[in-house]
Amino acid sequence: MDIFESSKMAVKTLTANKLRSTLTMLGIIIGNASVIAMIGIGQGAQRLASEQFESLGPNVLFITPGKRETRSRTFDLPKTLVMQDAEAIATQVPSVAGVAAQRQTQLPVTYRNRNVSALIVGTTPTFLSVRSFDVASGRFLSDQDVERNTRVVVLGPDLVDRLFGTTNPIGQQVRIKDVSFQVIGVMQPKGAFLGNNQDEAVYVPITTLANRLTGRTSPYGLDLTFISVSARDEASISEAEFQIANLLRLRHKITDEDDFSVQTQKDVLQIVGTITGGLTAMLAAIAGISLLVGGIGIMNIMLVSVTERTQEIGLRKAIGASQQDILVQFMIEAVILSAAGGLLGTGIGVGGILLVGALTPLQAGISPVAIALAVGVSGGIGLFFGVFPARQAAKLDPIVALRSA
Amino acid sequence: MPNAVIIRLEEITKLYGSGDTEIHALDAVDLLVEQGEYCAIMGASGSGKSTMMNIIGCLDRPSSGRYYLDGVDVAGLGDTQLAHIRNRKLGFVFQQFHLLPQLSALENVMLPMVYASVSAAERHDRAVEALQRVGLGNRMNNKPTQLSGGQQQRVAIARAIVNRPVLLLADEPTGALDSHTTQEILGIFGELNTSGITVVMVTHEPEVARTTRRVIWFRDGKVIHPHMAPAQIGQVA
Repeated sequence: MDIFESSKMAVKTLTANKLRSTLTMLGIIIGNASVIAMIGIGQGAQRLASEQFESLGPNVLFITPGKRETRSRTFDLPKTLVMQDAEAIATQVPSVAGVAAQRQTQLPVTYRNRNVSALIVGTTPTFLSVRSFDVASGRFLSDQDVERNTRVVVLGPDLVDRLFGTTNPIGQQVRIKDVSFQVIGVMQPKGAFLGNNQDEAVYVPITTLANRLTGRTSPYGLDLTFISVSARDEASISEAEFQIANLLRLRHKITDEDDFSVQTQKDVLQIVGTITGGLTAMLAAIAGISLLVGGIGIMNIMLVSVTERTQEIGLRKAIGASQQDILVQFMIEAVILSAAGGLLGTGIGVGGILLVGALTPLQAGISPVAIALAVGVSGGIGLFFGVFPARQAAKLDPIVALRSA
Repeated sequence: MPNAVIIRLEEITKLYGSGDTEIHALDAVDLLVEQGEYCAIMGASGSGKSTMMNIIGCLDRPSSGRYYLDGVDVAGLGDTQLAHIRNRKLGFVFQQFHLLPQLSALENVMLPMVYASVSAAERHDRAVEALQRVGLGNRMNNKPTQLSGGQQQRVAIARAIVNRPVLLLADEPTGALDSHTTQEILGIFGELNTSGITVVMVTHEPEVARTTRRVIWFRDGKVIHPHMAPAQIGQVA
């Protein structure tokens, strides 16, 4: 008997008991759907994170205080990364195009009776060019604002919506921690970054933030949360990284371990890639386990089916089916169940990815590799878990099988 | 010219168990059945008639002895070859019909030809012909559950003859039928035999055996009457 006849027969048998076939497939369907959805969503998260880092601006480096491994400890130690470091980098490192010092804190912002807790970013005018931001209306902070500790703010567009509604905010007064500020500009929308909505931030001169809002907290000068630096071009990124590190070691008089770390966008992307890659692998592993459980479910039902169909097997043998014919018949039934489950699961998985893509900014990828893998694996699972029941069927003694009424 | 020999058994022995518990289900049985015969195998239960049926039907192998079926020595064949023999040379009719419930009458009859790799078109034509021959040409597309017992057994007979076997084996074919239907089914066996098919039937009912032309009587694993006339039933036992 050829494979085509066997397949036709298997389909007939499986469709004769639709409910059981569907329930048997369910495990594989869920397993497959989750493999595809999880891998797709994991890859989507990776891509989203990468895109966000790339949107930070071209050729950007970040200098943060503290060692990379022990950054949390720097909360207790005197903060050593200061405004003067940023100025030194800007004037002394030739491969650097722009430097933007940033000091950040979370404070309530009030306009009339409306009150919103917002990220207050103290920075300098170079912030725009280094981080590829722009103002939508009004103007950004100027050098004079920084020099004179002016009480001016530039607001993120979402914050403007929340505080002002339809009122034009430019020229209005807002209060940050009981200090009155004049709104001079509104930023262009930039979107979220790693879950933080950058469009809800408030930008003030870095000197104003340190002197009027937070107070100075370091004996070394105006301490910073981090410094963003843009290199002249892509080729000079590693050069800049090296020169900045050397300059800061000199300035901080470092003999053993650095008290700062310089990270390029590539470093950050690598860290993000490692984290999301690990996440994807974990999701895929969990999904893979459910695929395995689905396969065991198929084996279970096939074994029940062999027991139930003992007489059928005996009859088939009596009218001329060889052991191989019976083996092939049951194997094909198992493979059809798991492959059909695989295809259905793929459909559901792809549907889930499209749904997530439609409802969230997470543009999960439909990975052809994941689909091929999942369908292939579930077919293989059918084959693997079908062998045992099929062998049981093939080995049945026709006399015993026919007699079991 | 003498008729061709379909079944030739030489000293067929079937042992079950071993050592002290060894049982001779068949004890050195010699038997000849020629082309065109219509035999009934009779005997008390435990006399070895079912074992005989299984060995003749190539469902079981003898412990020793030689068995020529249609001139082929089948005693030493492997599983795949025996399956081939069952498919091409034998037709089975069982007491419980053994039709596949998910298939129609026509599909059930076509099943042996699927294993014989007959083309789909020829399968259909031959199955229709076989069903017409047993008088079921009008119920071909019914499922077994939609047929009466007698009709189901007709389907089973059609399935048994569709591959044009040299030997039709029936194991208590009327055991599950009422007396009226029994007569109909026996009538079909008679017609098939008249048309040249060799029929061997296992039965314990004298009325059924009387419709055959030769009774082979078993007792304790031995053939005690290889050529009994049906009319003689009741004089032995």
